[in-house]
Amino acid sequence: MYASKEDAVTQKSPVRPTSEADEAAHLLAELDREMIRAARSLETGTLIDVRDLEVRYGSKVVLTDVGLDIPLRQITAFIGPSGCGKSTALRCFNRMNDEIRSFSMSGRIRIGGQDIMEPKVDVTELRRQVGMVFQHPNPFPMSIHENIALAIREHTPRISRDEVDHLVEWALTKANLWNEVKDDLKRSALALSGGQQQRLCIARALAVKPTVLMLDEPCASLDPISTARIEELLLELSGEYTIIIVTHNLAQARRISDDVAFFLMGRLLEFGEARRVFEDPLRRETADYVRGVYG
Amino acid sequence: MKEHRSIVRTARPLSLVGPAFAWLAAGVVAAACVFIIVYIVKEGLSHVDWTFLSSDPDPSPASGEGGGVRIPIVGTAFLVFITTLLTFPIALGASVYLAEYMDERRPLTKAIRLGLEVLAGVPSAVFGMFGVAMFSHGIFTFMSSSGAEGSDVAFGRSFLVAGVVMAIHVLPFVIKAMEEAIRAVPVSYRQGAAALGVTKWRALQRVVLPAASPGIATGVILGMGLAAGDTAIVWLTLGGTMNMAVDAWWQLSSAVEVLRGTGSTLTTFIYFSSPAGEGNAPELAYAGAMVLLVLLVSLNAVATFLGRKPRSV
Repeated sequence: MYASKEDAVTQKSPVRPTSEADEAAHLLAELDREMIRAARSLETGTLIDVRDLEVRYGSKVVLTDVGLDIPLRQITAFIGPSGCGKSTALRCFNRMNDEIRSFSMSGRIRIGGQDIMEPKVDVTELRRQVGMVFQHPNPFPMSIHENIALAIREHTPRISRDEVDHLVEWALTKANLWNEVKDDLKRSALALSGGQQQRLCIARALAVKPTVLMLDEPCASLDPISTARIEELLLELSGEYTIIIVTHNLAQARRISDDVAFFLMGRLLEFGEARRVFEDPLRRETADYVRGVYG
Repeated sequence: MKEHRSIVRTARPLSLVGPAFAWLAAGVVAAACVFIIVYIVKEGLSHVDWTFLSSDPDPSPASGEGGGVRIPIVGTAFLVFITTLLTFPIALGASVYLAEYMDERRPLTKAIRLGLEVLAGVPSAVFGMFGVAMFSHGIFTFMSSSGAEGSDVAFGRSFLVAGVVMAIHVLPFVIKAMEEAIRAVPVSYRQGAAALGVTKWRALQRVVLPAASPGIATGVILGMGLAAGDTAIVWLTLGGTMNMAVDAWWQLSSAVEVLRGTGSTLTTFIYFSSPAGEGNAPELAYAGAMVLLVLLVSLNAVATFLGRKPRSV
């Protein structure tokens, strides 16, 4: 990336510390830049900023040269054909890729100004902040109540039973599921329909008070009515949460997203306001994909 | 074209030989199983009655006075209980490690796998022999009654010794069953928990192990069945006697003495009563075999029932 090691160092820290005073000045300058950056991100409303992201599984490069600013409290859709790297990108944001042995990445991902790849980052806390819902609904094989209470207790160890009950009700209400299940919270979550299970998974993620909600093709295994309910729910939630949705369904992306990121073969080809990307794409590949030429 | 035809012609009869052999082999297995069960029931049924179940073995059954299987049944229960108590925590810990934590590529892992396979392949008579030799050592007098007066060797045969040796014998099988049960839990549960910021250990406690519990229970029952059905270890490490060291074995105050003493199980009762043993009373052996068979079939039925139970709440 850099011409030489020397270049790399100068690029990272233009002020090279030579004495203690220099070092202090250097730190102050760093702090200044940090504050300016934070202020700017508040201004533009960016929550997640990604720079030069490259991901490999073993020697295979699955994402390269990805940079984007995901806006606060909006719905951002990641679209693109299978294998384009959109799910991989999503899984970088809550470090779910860490579990994969051959995974390696470079570049920088900051959420709310915090570099999430730093060693001091508490991954469990990161995952609380950045909730995730999977393609296939995956409620735990336990009661509806326990499904939600489990993570609440994990993050708030000495929470009282009443508070847990209260949060469970709050989360289920938030996920538009409360009215359907309130009479029988002890029922197995596996007895719910697919759409209800998916809303339970959303409730489960919301219960631990995240700032970001990521959904990886959440409607792929659902019928149109359940899909519509989830979309409705996401639109409701978008005022409070930063939502990122990976979807194959272009119509869905059109219906609910504010911004769209189009991935193709491991690259982010286009990122911008949804209407603009769909109606007036900058690149031919995007236009072809949106028109259904491939995918 | 010609070549094609010849291939088809030779393939046809061969394709019938395979399935025919498979059917035949399966039929032989099923027939052998049915034959053994029917034969044992036919020979044993007339002797199995309440008196047989509730009286103690006669040390010389050939005299015709009969004798029953009360102590062997209790002995089997004791042995199975001790074995299960020792096996369960170790097998659970080991299977969790094998299924969740270890790196399959590391030499240590390969050594553990190899160790388990070898352990599973060791005949139980070898374990029995090892057990007696090992636990006859003076430092193990707390596990069995001491040998001759003034000597510093232990007797090396007792319920405790038999339980420990039996546990080593059944461990590899139970670990294997439990590991498979844990591995069978869908990855989506683990991912779901991880994505909520639940630590791996907690997810294991709260989600994975509860979901695997029917399979884990099946593993425990498998171990119980193996312990109840093994003969060589019991014959060698529980002493070749039929009755217990303490006459009033049911008294709680003599529990320690009973566990440190010798006794019998259904399998040693069968061996002892059969023409191969001292008893030479085949009808009692058949009756004992029938009782053991009923016990093992019931255990299997429970295991099957648990295994079939859907993974819900």
